[in-house]
Amino acid sequence: MNDIFEFKRFGLLFKKTIFERYLQLTGLTCLAFAATLVIYSVILFFTGGMARNLAQNLSFGYGIIGGGCFLSSVIFGYFSTNASGAAYLTLPVSAFEKWFCGMLIIGVLFPALFLAFYRVMDSCFVIFYHNGLNKNDPRYKDMYDAVQVYPFNNNFVRESVMIYINFVSVMMLGSLYFNKVSAIKTALVYGSILGLLYFLNLIIANLLFHNVDGAFPFSGVFIKVGNDVGILGLPDSIANLVQLAIQIIIPSLLFITVFIRLREKEI
Amino acid sequence: MIQFNNLSFGYSSKKLLYKDLTLTIEGGSIYGLLGKNGAGKSTLLKNMVGTLFPIDGEIIINGKIPGKRQPSFLKTIYYIPEDVFVPALTIKQYKNLFAPFYPEFNEENFYRYLKELDVSADGKLNKLSFGQQKKFVIAFALACNTKVLLMDEPTNGLDIPSKTQFRKLIASIMYDDRIIFISTHQVRDLENMIDNIIIVDNGDLLLHSSIENIGNKLCFKTTSELPANARVLYKEQMLKGATVVIENINQEDSKLNLEHLFTGVTENPALTKEIFSAN
Repeated sequence: MNDIFEFKRFGLLFKKTIFERYLQLTGLTCLAFAATLVIYSVILFFTGGMARNLAQNLSFGYGIIGGGCFLSSVIFGYFSTNASGAAYLTLPVSAFEKWFCGMLIIGVLFPALFLAFYRVMDSCFVIFYHNGLNKNDPRYKDMYDAVQVYPFNNNFVRESVMIYINFVSVMMLGSLYFNKVSAIKTALVYGSILGLLYFLNLIIANLLFHNVDGAFPFSGVFIKVGNDVGILGLPDSIANLVQLAIQIIIPSLLFITVFIRLREKEI
Repeated sequence: MIQFNNLSFGYSSKKLLYKDLTLTIEGGSIYGLLGKNGAGKSTLLKNMVGTLFPIDGEIIINGKIPGKRQPSFLKTIYYIPEDVFVPALTIKQYKNLFAPFYPEFNEENFYRYLKELDVSADGKLNKLSFGQQKKFVIAFALACNTKVLLMDEPTNGLDIPSKTQFRKLIASIMYDDRIIFISTHQVRDLENMIDNIIIVDNGDLLLHSSIENIGNKLCFKTTSELPANARVLYKEQMLKGATVVIENINQEDSKLNLEHLFTGVTENPALTKEIFSAN
């Protein structure tokens, strides 16, 4: 028997994970879909349909990141009681399989379902908009072309995916440290760390520059120049390194820590 | 076989609950792990199943180290915690999802145990009472046919008929190399069921002996006159005389009273060690 990974055993675990908490997992996923639909609709409603790009961007960002955060905080959420924690830890599957199962749900299943949902929802809005246009209007072509199905390869999506990966890795890790209300506790700790980093960075920037307007860690320093604000960015080579760290190195380290924590978890 | 080799465990490394515990548990026996509340019974079981890790020393169960939580080990051990967990599933759904992890699971026996423990549920398991949930988990655990079965306070929450049925079931599922380990502070629930006793208190192993050996070493009786030179482990004055647990110097046959034994051992640990270490 392979004590690290077996397809059959993993399949059983995956099936058990989905069906054991079917209501919780589907409920959270549906909630994320509903929130996405509401954000999209509300923005269109309050802007009279003028801010479609904004509606697309915000609904996509909040939907995938918010949904992913909540889902990732419950995927290893077995430790709120001794009994459920013991049942999970003593299930005859390896720590790697449990970890991989969580990764598959958060890294593949939820994003795939979200993208599919988003494409259908967005297409409906766009088709509805296109059908509502007056074909005899001289601006018809411009108005038609102005609103298109949301492309999943723009910069906002890339940024959202980067934030998604970072946030879900933090949430998964938090759920293995905080046994109860882990989502809130993790968000508080993570928010505090980010806030602390920001203010430390701001203090250092103020020591080095005058008229600092803002300074985000590993990003750039915003300096007031007259009525304008200029950005003092990182050199390209360092900026690339920072991007690499944020996109790959930090989330990878966090995901590895999740595995180690799951393997070492006691209850 | 379960071996504890110089096991030390504590929730803080400065305050150890168990220190250098060395113990061997043979297969084919039902062990009763007795101790007061907070004596460290559950902690010991958790170390055995690998949900807690020793600070020092090791536990080896049938050649495997529990702390590694390898599937090849976990499929041979079933642990029933004091508070059981059942998800919002029907009996059939639970069986379909969880039984495949245990290769020796016997479906026919599972339904028989459920019937014998009087568990019937058409709806979701999480809607059952605590006692019914516990009986369901016990039935499932027994049907898994694992080589090691660890139960933490299994009779808590069970009504009197269920306790009787539980004792019968445990006796019926015993086979040669199986180890059943039952932890409880309700010592009467284990009477006539176990063949070995382990008594712990504050992390100390006060007694580890077979029922047969206890019968050889100790005498349980009610008497108006104590034999001369007999060391008294426990004495309680009753209407008809004194109920005592004394050293069995005359090799008398007597019926084991677990409650009196437990009280005697926890109140006189040094004397217990003296009596049981003597040949």
